[in-house]
Amino acid sequence: MTFLDLIWLIPLFPLAGAAIMLFLGRKLDPQQPSAVALAPGVGPAPGMHGLGHAGHSHAGPGKKLISLLCPGTVLLSLIFSIGAVAELARLPEKTHQLILYTWIAGLPFQTATGSLARFSADWGFLLDPLSAVMILVVTGVGFLIHVYSIGYMGHEGGYYRFFGYMNLFVFFMLMLVLANNYALLFVGWEGVGLCSYLLIGFYFHKKSASDAANKAFIVNRIGDAGFILGMLMMFHVFGTVRFADVNRALAGPGYAPEASWGVLSVMALLLFVGATGKSAQFPLYVWLPDAMEGPTPVSALIHAATMVTAGVYMVARSNALFSLAPATSDIVAVIGAFTAILAASIALVQNDIKRVLAYSTVSQLGYMFLACGVGAYWVAIFHLYTHAFFKALLFLGAGSVIHALGGEQDMRRMGGLKEKLPTTYWTMLAGSLAIAGIPGLAGFFSKDEILWQVYSSPQGSTALFVVGLITAGMTAFYMFRLMFLTFHGKPRMDAHTLAHAHESPPVMTVPLAVLAAGSVLAGWIGVPKLWTAFPDAFRSFEHWLEPVMLRAAAHGADAGHHDAATEWLLMGLSVAVALGGIWVARVFYLRRPELPERLAQSAPGLYNTLLNKWYVDEVYGAVFVDGLAKGGGTALSEFDARVVDGGVNGTGWLARFTSQLSIWWDTWIVDGAVRLVSFAVKVVSYPVRLLQTGYVQAYALIFVLGVLVIFGYYWMR
Amino acid sequence: MLDTFFFYAFALLTLGGGILTVTRRNAVHSAMWLIVSLAGAAGLYLLQGAEFLFAVQIVLYVGGIMVLFLFVIMLVNLDEAAKMRQFNKQWWVALACVSGVGALVAYFLRQGAGAFRLARPPQGAPILEGNTERIADVLFSEYLLPFEIASVLLLVAIVGSVLMAKRKV
Amino acid sequence: MSQYYTTTDHFVLVPALMLALFGCAVLLFEVLVFPHPRQRKWLLLFVLLGLAFAGAGVWRQQNFLASQGIEELTAFGGTLTVDGFAIFFNWIFLAASLIVTLISYRYLEVEGEHHGEYYGLILLANCGMFFLATGTDLITLFIGLELMALCFYILVGFLREDRRSNEAALKYLLLGAFSSGFLVYGFSVLYGLAGSTKLRAVADALASREPWDPVVFLALATTAVGLLFKISAVPFHMWAPDAYEGAPTTVTAYLSVGSKAASFALLLRVFLMPLGAAREVWEPLLAAVAVATMTVGNLAAVTQTNIKRLLAYSSISHAGYILLGLIAGNETGIKGVLVYILVYTFMNLGAFLVVVALRRKDLLGEDLDDLAGLVYKSPGYAILMLIFLLSLAGIPPTAGFIAKYYIFLALIETRHYVLAVIGTLYVAVAIYYYFRIVRSMFLAPLADTGPLTTSFGLRLALVVTGVLTLGIGIYPEPFLGFAQTSLAR
Repeated sequence: MTFLDLIWLIPLFPLAGAAIMLFLGRKLDPQQPSAVALAPGVGPAPGMHGLGHAGHSHAGPGKKLISLLCPGTVLLSLIFSIGAVAELARLPEKTHQLILYTWIAGLPFQTATGSLARFSADWGFLLDPLSAVMILVVTGVGFLIHVYSIGYMGHEGGYYRFFGYMNLFVFFMLMLVLANNYALLFVGWEGVGLCSYLLIGFYFHKKSASDAANKAFIVNRIGDAGFILGMLMMFHVFGTVRFADVNRALAGPGYAPEASWGVLSVMALLLFVGATGKSAQFPLYVWLPDAMEGPTPVSALIHAATMVTAGVYMVARSNALFSLAPATSDIVAVIGAFTAILAASIALVQNDIKRVLAYSTVSQLGYMFLACGVGAYWVAIFHLYTHAFFKALLFLGAGSVIHALGGEQDMRRMGGLKEKLPTTYWTMLAGSLAIAGIPGLAGFFSKDEILWQVYSSPQGSTALFVVGLITAGMTAFYMFRLMFLTFHGKPRMDAHTLAHAHESPPVMTVPLAVLAAGSVLAGWIGVPKLWTAFPDAFRSFEHWLEPVMLRAAAHGADAGHHDAATEWLLMGLSVAVALGGIWVARVFYLRRPELPERLAQSAPGLYNTLLNKWYVDEVYGAVFVDGLAKGGGTALSEFDARVVDGGVNGTGWLARFTSQLSIWWDTWIVDGAVRLVSFAVKVVSYPVRLLQTGYVQAYALIFVLGVLVIFGYYWMR
Repeated sequence: MLDTFFFYAFALLTLGGGILTVTRRNAVHSAMWLIVSLAGAAGLYLLQGAEFLFAVQIVLYVGGIMVLFLFVIMLVNLDEAAKMRQFNKQWWVALACVSGVGALVAYFLRQGAGAFRLARPPQGAPILEGNTERIADVLFSEYLLPFEIASVLLLVAIVGSVLMAKRKV
Repeated sequence: MSQYYTTTDHFVLVPALMLALFGCAVLLFEVLVFPHPRQRKWLLLFVLLGLAFAGAGVWRQQNFLASQGIEELTAFGGTLTVDGFAIFFNWIFLAASLIVTLISYRYLEVEGEHHGEYYGLILLANCGMFFLATGTDLITLFIGLELMALCFYILVGFLREDRRSNEAALKYLLLGAFSSGFLVYGFSVLYGLAGSTKLRAVADALASREPWDPVVFLALATTAVGLLFKISAVPFHMWAPDAYEGAPTTVTAYLSVGSKAASFALLLRVFLMPLGAAREVWEPLLAAVAVATMTVGNLAAVTQTNIKRLLAYSSISHAGYILLGLIAGNETGIKGVLVYILVYTFMNLGAFLVVVALRRKDLLGEDLDDLAGLVYKSPGYAILMLIFLLSLAGIPPTAGFIAKYYIFLALIETRHYVLAVIGTLYVAVAIYYYFRIVRSMFLAPLADTGPLTTSFGLRLALVVTGVLTLGIGIYPEPFLGFAQTSLAR
């Protein structure tokens, strides 16, 4: 019995954990119900002592068992995954399909081409390089986040419930990535949605949390409708939904890239609609920032590292289809790029630490779709993989900060935590450098590769590249704005909170350290081809995924005609932009706390932006030190006020305006649309209720009217 | 000719009696009109040459069941119900509905009048003998099963009415 | 045995005979053998025996058909036809009756209306359903329908002390009688066309006429009205929310699955065989009805706060989905309908079982808020309810997904793209209102700390329906095969 034959066990471990938790958890962790006012006055009220207390003062034996069991099941899955992937690597064709039995079958029916096909969807698992990457990410990052949650959720009510949902989530996520056909993938797809719903609303006594859960749910339904229709269309056209068979059919002679909108393009577009819902792309991204109402480990696992990348995975999985649908691919690229820059611009002005990260996630997912859209599927998966490390790390780090500050999430009431939370700081710094794209760290490799592919691929364009580049700059800026506001400068919280701020227990910091190591090192398996100093072993990621992306690779083969100089130039440009972003953030947020002290008396007319202050400093110095004439001084200050200020203010205003605009778009148009839908449903349901008067005469009248209409149909034929 | 005249006469009795049954407020009056309606139906049976049915209709319905009805009505004080104001007086809506549906049904029947497989009118002198036997024959051979199910149906009706009428068990 | 009642006749009739005999026996025994209210539980034994004997009869018929390799067995000169279709539905009816019987005794005790008549009526209603699935004769079908309906009129009003129950029964009775008038008129016109009450003869008569023949249309329209009422399709659905809400919850459960499945059996028989010739006439008509039904059912459910009412509207919308399969009309579609009805029986029963468990002496247990925080009190019930709701919404890997998938697939195969899209979109709406219940169970603080009203029978029934709802979803092959063989006509 090898690990490859046991891949069906991988999802089952967390399922077992979830079943134990959900059915027996209450008996294991009897303290819990106080959080839900099951028995008022019994047990400690968790709200009273908040999050800020370290240690496990009242961790009963049952709770310890939960803490062992739930991360343990994920660890088992991880071990089995590693074993299976190791064996997979030794297989010549690097694909292992394990079909347990036929799930839906027995119905021969006519496909669109008129041939008889036998309906088949299996309860089967497919381990190939793509799903191998995914299961390692899901179980690896999932395990670390589970461990972290032991510390983070230790004092919260519903401990067992939390872990039960988390394990259930891991189960469904593994089903999603291990499925060998679209129908089974859809099982996982809906399942993770359900778990996400339950976990976003975990703090249901907060109204915002349960509203957020609902919003996520409704928005995702739109995507799901697209997915179902796409899947039905696939059944209709190919007569199968098994990945291998669909790809084989697509590789056949009957299909060529569609010049305009054809069956394949529509099918791909429908699937992509599904992906926009799950992976939070424009215009369906609105649910993700609100989803931050859930506990932070949930945000890290579900809304950063795994579930939201399911759409990217699905598109990459369907690369054979998408590469035959250039029109849809263009839409994917444009939506991805637009989402990336839109979300990044919003992230610039957010004050809630988790929301910054949430918009950042949306933006990075946009990158991944951008890569998919230009046909660089392996790069999308590469970015998905590196992103899982540093975004999970950043979320967990943010969680550690929030934990230390007793639940505070507003960065305006943070600052100066560098010394208090050293581990958190240094690990988060690694994550921020990684996401900003500093050479040598994971994010650099994947992001740079995306930008290069966008520029050089035949489906890419310079415009998309510029958008990606600007987004990269914004990313570096907002991440370091976050870092500086949180960890540097003077503490801005009240003394009590500051006094209680403390580093998190090892159970939380060790996962941070592991993820930080990943954020630094994970990228070294996808080193640019340009860096010829490194042997091919450093480029193993692309080769690893090659068997899955055959068709796409064939299409992208002509990407190499650009010269090395251009590539170096672009790489330099992206690094420069990243450094520039960090520098601007540093000027804006790091130097500001010192400057006011030094210039308190000499510069009364300070303006809002740091850059502006710096100019004012020069001008005022010139005026006072050199003793220039009042007229000259006035002229200079006029110049200062009108031109410099104006320019700076104008830029700042523009930036703020665009992000305000996008927030406005969010609140009014997209939220509005969601609300409109539910409002419309209620409005439409009103007349139905109106007719349901309760008078049997009225019912009979409607009955007769129905009869008359049916008779009338005779003349309507 | 005479047949046609009698047909319309009996049909009028049946229909008119039925309408008056549902529109009378006094329960006794309603019951009386029901008798008229049932008698009209019996007449229609007779016109069709179904003497047995005619006899059964008169004996069972008009004679037996209706008398029971009247007993019940007189035993149970229904004056209260008769005095109660009816809260729904939209008779014109009902009239419109009935006439609408009726007109449509009539239209369709008229359009496709030739569609029905009508039984041949008896040739020569009506065969009087064997009428009862033939009904029995059909009832206990071809329609044996519906006949038996109907008995179960009646049992359920009895159980239901007893159950509803019992005050407290 | 005589020429009027042959061995074949008897063989075919045995399940109905058993149901009717045991139904009468239960009525008698309650008075004669178990007069004391505490002894009434023993009546359950007779009900189970009756169902078991009926099941044995159906089982033998199934085996006989399989062993002889014949597709159908007619009896009483074409009045009854046992074929795969009939056997399929009979199993569904028996399962529904069994489950409802299991859950009823505790509920009726709580309601204070524990009488033997209840079980008798359940068995007799099942007897009526048998004739709906097996009958191929207009009179038999009509009397079977009335037998079933009459039992339901009484059962809906079984809580005599409860005004809602009385009102529901009265409304159901009046409107039901109204619709029966239309149905029987339609049947009489069919008879007039064919000169025979046998469905086969009617089919032959209709096949020889053009589809838009006015009299054929008259028969079709009036028959359709009567049948659509029974499956609570719009615009003849008005009775359903009131009747479902007012009836005892166990009866609501039975009504929503048993009566609906039986009515669909009748509808399929009538529309596929005799009216099949006029397909081009009724297909657009039923499509419009199905869309209206899904619209009204799904949209009205959104704002409901009473769970029974919500499930009533949901059951209306399910009727719309099932009709879609009939509209598609190809083999996949009809199989989809059968699978859908099978799946619907278990998932809908399951959802009602949880509602039954909520009822206590001091709690009506019908409001959405009565479910609040159920996961803390009884996680097992909450999770099972979640499974039922996911299935009702059609989310994989539950059975409801399989059912909906076949319907949609059939629609796409037959190029009814618009209907498929509408159906898919309404799935999204349906998820919304089902998740109002989920939200209440999982994302709301516990409101009521009192215990659930459970019993061994209820727990058993819950486990069975839960396992089937999930099991059909995960391993549907045997059930699909069952539906497949049932259609070998």
